[in-house]
Amino acid sequence: MPTEADNLLRYRPWNGEPRNPLFASVAMARVSLWLLARQKLLWGLFALALLVFFFFFYAQYLVVWITSQLANETVRFGGIPVTVGNLTRFLDRLSLNGTAHTFGNFIWFQGYMLVIVLALTGSVLIGNDFFHGSLPFYLSKPIGRWHYVLGKCLAIGVVVNVMITLPALVLWVQAGLLYEWQSYYLDNFDLLLGILGYGLVLTITLSLLVVATAVWVRRMVPLVMIWMGLFVFLRMLATLLVDGMRLDERWRLIDLWNVLYLTGLSCLRVDPETIRPAPQPEYWEAWVVVGAVCLACAAYLRNRIRAVEIVS
Amino acid sequence: MLATTLPSPLAVVHPLIELTDVTRTFGSFTALHGVTLALPPGRIGILGPNGAGKSTLLKILMGLIPPTTGTGRVLNQQLGGDNDSEGNWRLRRLIGFMPEADALVPGLTGVEYVSLAGELYGMPRQVARRRAHEVLSYLGLEEARYRRVEQYSAGMKQRAKLAQALIHDPPVLLLDEPTSGLDPAGRDAMLKLIATLGTDHGKSILLSTHLLADVEAVCERVVIIAAGRVRGEGTVRELCARRQDRYRLRIQGAADRLRQALTSAGVALLSDDGQGEWRVAVPDGWNNLEFFRLALANGVVIRALLPDDETLEELFLRTVGTVET
Repeated sequence: MPTEADNLLRYRPWNGEPRNPLFASVAMARVSLWLLARQKLLWGLFALALLVFFFFFYAQYLVVWITSQLANETVRFGGIPVTVGNLTRFLDRLSLNGTAHTFGNFIWFQGYMLVIVLALTGSVLIGNDFFHGSLPFYLSKPIGRWHYVLGKCLAIGVVVNVMITLPALVLWVQAGLLYEWQSYYLDNFDLLLGILGYGLVLTITLSLLVVATAVWVRRMVPLVMIWMGLFVFLRMLATLLVDGMRLDERWRLIDLWNVLYLTGLSCLRVDPETIRPAPQPEYWEAWVVVGAVCLACAAYLRNRIRAVEIVS
Repeated sequence: MLATTLPSPLAVVHPLIELTDVTRTFGSFTALHGVTLALPPGRIGILGPNGAGKSTLLKILMGLIPPTTGTGRVLNQQLGGDNDSEGNWRLRRLIGFMPEADALVPGLTGVEYVSLAGELYGMPRQVARRRAHEVLSYLGLEEARYRRVEQYSAGMKQRAKLAQALIHDPPVLLLDEPTSGLDPAGRDAMLKLIATLGTDHGKSILLSTHLLADVEAVCERVVIIAAGRVRGEGTVRELCARRQDRYRLRIQGAADRLRQALTSAGVALLSDDGQGEWRVAVPDGWNNLEFFRLALANGVVIRALLPDDETLEELFLRTVGTVET
């Protein structure tokens, strides 16, 4: 007589109804996140990203508390009497007051960590599929190439939102609790939508960009170099051209992170005149660049992830 | 043990593969020239040297690329093309594909890898996980289910790849060089496993390989492809017996004189083992009575005259050699 364990381990025919391929994308995303969770380096980078968040979280609390409780008090700093309000002056640049700039600045600075995390993510999730020949495993199944891309983008989207959107939402909630919470949440509900919009723009653009660049270079170190080139070198170049050589402000459009920042600020309905460094391109120009980047990535992926990759 | 499964009704009613004048070009290069095939369900070997067009044929059969011209069906499912259509997905659900390349997902354990394959085929998560355990156990990987696939030996990797092709219980298994990289014992075990899937569990198997011994061990039928054309198709026995012009002679007596007489009559001596056994090729219109007449005239006794069936290897080499010349 077969035991219960024998029955459990027995191979049986399967006659079930297959589900929509979109479920395959979800499965791919879930497994991708599981793969990322096994990367110790990623946890280290997440910890650093968490430090950036905690800096904003506690700094926002500190600024509000000092402003409301000790602004006119004087403390001795190195033997010199200093007004407490002046001690936090260096934080003014970050606008830690629950306004649109607070969240814009947080996302701007968190971007440095995000770039490195996404380079690792791209190399683990997509580069490995090409490098280790896993693509035939996926594309020989009853799914389209866009289901593959969607699955990977969903996983990357989760990473982006865990690092960017979710902490920004926590900062928004915190800001409300630090002020008159009822009036803050009602008056600044559009900020909540703006944060979600900013997160959505980042999710779509960066996930497509990660997949496209990972398909292109595949390995982590070149991927990091490409991303550093995109987000650091081009930024330095744009600064040099616009601020140093006084060329047209549209040169800032080569700085992708700045472009994403502008689209995010437009979601947060920030007055363009208040954006630093000035001058900046128009919001619509930033949106055109973001759209062009997404389309270019999609076109590249359409050509690159093809059936001809399948059977060696 | 794997429960005995009957072939799917589709496999019983319809031919496995029907291709009509399928041509595939890549720019100016023609990878397949007017391939027409009608193959019944069963264990079929696709033999051909590198660059013969096997891979292109596999891609077309899986609906990954469309034929440039021609039409085809796999188990009555129309071949589509390189479009992400429902028809193509239906086609791929009929097929379990085991690629030649590693095609593993580093970082996943064996059971996670096979479960993921099940979910990609459209199975619910719990069902996929349960079947992954079943299939891995059946394939002898139960002890290694929780090890990461990149730590597997070559034989285990091949079995894991077979498991992911088998998880959704497809009627057709398409195996691309399944014994690649295996040691002799592992190769024998893999071939036995594949043959069992065909004989005991009703799976149709398309085995793409350049290893003749693999085909001989597993397949009932063979399709020989060279230079993008089908050069031969049939059962192994049929193909090898088709050579009507060759005989094996066992003689006793003055061999030199008979040799000269046969040569004068247009018979080519292919081999002589020195023990009185010859392999010969006769010209068109040859009557076998001539052997006995010439033997009698030269004082030689013919002890045996047998048709000289080719081995699969000889057939393959002759077919490929014909193409190359």
